[in-house]
Amino acid sequence: MDEILFFVAGIAAIVAAAGTVFLRNPFYAVLSLVVHLLSLSMLFLLLYAQFVAVVQVMVYVGAVMVLYVFVNAYVGGGSEPEGGGGPSLRMFSYAIAITLIVTIGIAVLGTGLQAIDGSGPDDIPASFGSPGEIGKLLLTKFLLPFEAASFLLLVAAIGAVVLARRRRGVLPGEERMVAALDLLAPTGTGSMREGVGAINPTPGGFSARITPSTGAGTLPASDDRTGDDSEGGSR
Amino acid sequence: MTSVLAGPLSAINYAEPWYVQIIKALLIFAIGFSLVPLVLLYERKLLGRFQGRPGPNRVGIYGSMQPLADIGKLLFKEQFKPRGAIGWLFIAAPLISMVAALATFPLIPFSGAPQEILGTKVGLYGLDSDIGLLIFFAFSAIGSYGILLGGWSSTSKYSFLGAMRGAAQLISYEAAQGLALLGVVMTTGSLSLSEIVDKQDHMGLWFLVPQIVGAFIFFVATLAEINRTPFDLLEADSELVGGFMTEYGGGRFALYYVAEYVHLVVAGAMFSTLFLGGWNIPFWNGAPGFLDPFVVLAKTLVIVSIIIWIRATLPRLRYDQLMSFGWKILLPLATLNALVTAIVLVAL
Repeated sequence: MDEILFFVAGIAAIVAAAGTVFLRNPFYAVLSLVVHLLSLSMLFLLLYAQFVAVVQVMVYVGAVMVLYVFVNAYVGGGSEPEGGGGPSLRMFSYAIAITLIVTIGIAVLGTGLQAIDGSGPDDIPASFGSPGEIGKLLLTKFLLPFEAASFLLLVAAIGAVVLARRRRGVLPGEERMVAALDLLAPTGTGSMREGVGAINPTPGGFSARITPSTGAGTLPASDDRTGDDSEGGSR
Repeated sequence: MTSVLAGPLSAINYAEPWYVQIIKALLIFAIGFSLVPLVLLYERKLLGRFQGRPGPNRVGIYGSMQPLADIGKLLFKEQFKPRGAIGWLFIAAPLISMVAALATFPLIPFSGAPQEILGTKVGLYGLDSDIGLLIFFAFSAIGSYGILLGGWSSTSKYSFLGAMRGAAQLISYEAAQGLALLGVVMTTGSLSLSEIVDKQDHMGLWFLVPQIVGAFIFFVATLAEINRTPFDLLEADSELVGGFMTEYGGGRFALYYVAEYVHLVVAGAMFSTLFLGGWNIPFWNGAPGFLDPFVVLAKTLVIVSIIIWIRATLPRLRYDQLMSFGWKILLPLATLNALVTAIVLVAL
């Protein structure tokens, strides 16, 4: 069963990864990436790394890829690839790709050659891959990389805010502090008095009483009820 | 086979022989499915009462056959799809919704210690994993693809708008929903749902009391996650016709519909597991084990009733209100709750 699942997940991962690169339509490419990530989480599960597997689905499939799909569905649409960029950009991307391949190759070959002599772990401790174990490792052995990664994410988030403000976002003039009161509904919102136009709830928590300048005077609180009904409201 | 089923996913608790697991899987599927028409009828009856009308009362005694008539009608309707629709995605999307919804149901623990049934010890849960809570979130994340792809592949503006709203809403409220549970997880020290209930048993206190803020945030965020009023912007019948399922009809529409009610049941059961002490009966410690599933179901029913009550009471939010409420109120509140819980836990 394990072997069958491994081959199903492995082949699906490879095919979907190839699809991500070669599919012309960006929407399908993103969907292909989703399939790839799901198969990867399957592989993690077979390696007894259940926490990593589930977090992979939660974070990548659930949040990151939904955002990709969202953006693609909104602004994508064209199946034509974007322009290839300048020659310098192209050279830069080749350099990055080659570096990545070499690094991953070293990592895979290194661990693979090491493992090929052994017979695998005889018995996996019950706590292996559990959230507690991973948390312990993150806060002791891998504390520095962990903090560095979270710092990187913080920088990226701030960068996104800055870029959004420059594009359109908030213009200098219209920036204002949001007071806590603004978030509350003004008193009288949704009340019958608002419905008949007696008060005008304004953001900030207060309701201004409307005094009509023309026509009928201010609405008395008690006597008017019968009058309203006789006019035939939309009850 | 056993190494996968009894291995990574159910590492901590009791794992049964393979045939018991298969029987359990079928049984859980059947129970989850048969809860749907009951909840459907319950909601329509209750909504009727809230609105001063009898609700369905023509089919069967007291309208009891109404859900069967509804589902039967849907299943025998013609399967159609719009001319521009992307065929395989259009067919697959409701299936994704359905599978993801049903996959969360086995995670709910219905009893504490494994029960003795016909001489075999059986745990009354589909899967008691030490990361049960995370699996729940993972499947609800996959479920959002059902909505997203369904709306996109219909190639209709209403569907598309509904799906895009759905994507934004689900991402926004998922963060608050997860953070709200951090207090519960920190107090328990585990992500296993049955251990969370056990902890409440030992404390003699439901998490609703110490984690009232977390419970509130989780409840509101769950309403948004399962697209219930006042967060039903992706359906929004008054402005978007039917949102992401505008173009769906017949059996595929039924799939979406059933998935929605499975979500409703799971949301109720999840809330009662996390905050209402699961199978725990207050002030009665020696309760016999066979009562446990019924206690869980009763608590689920209470939560489901509250959700229906909210539907009958509140109007739909505006889109910007939805976003600012999620990001500016719920998320900071959830973070604060986690922070305070951590400080209190360390201080005690």
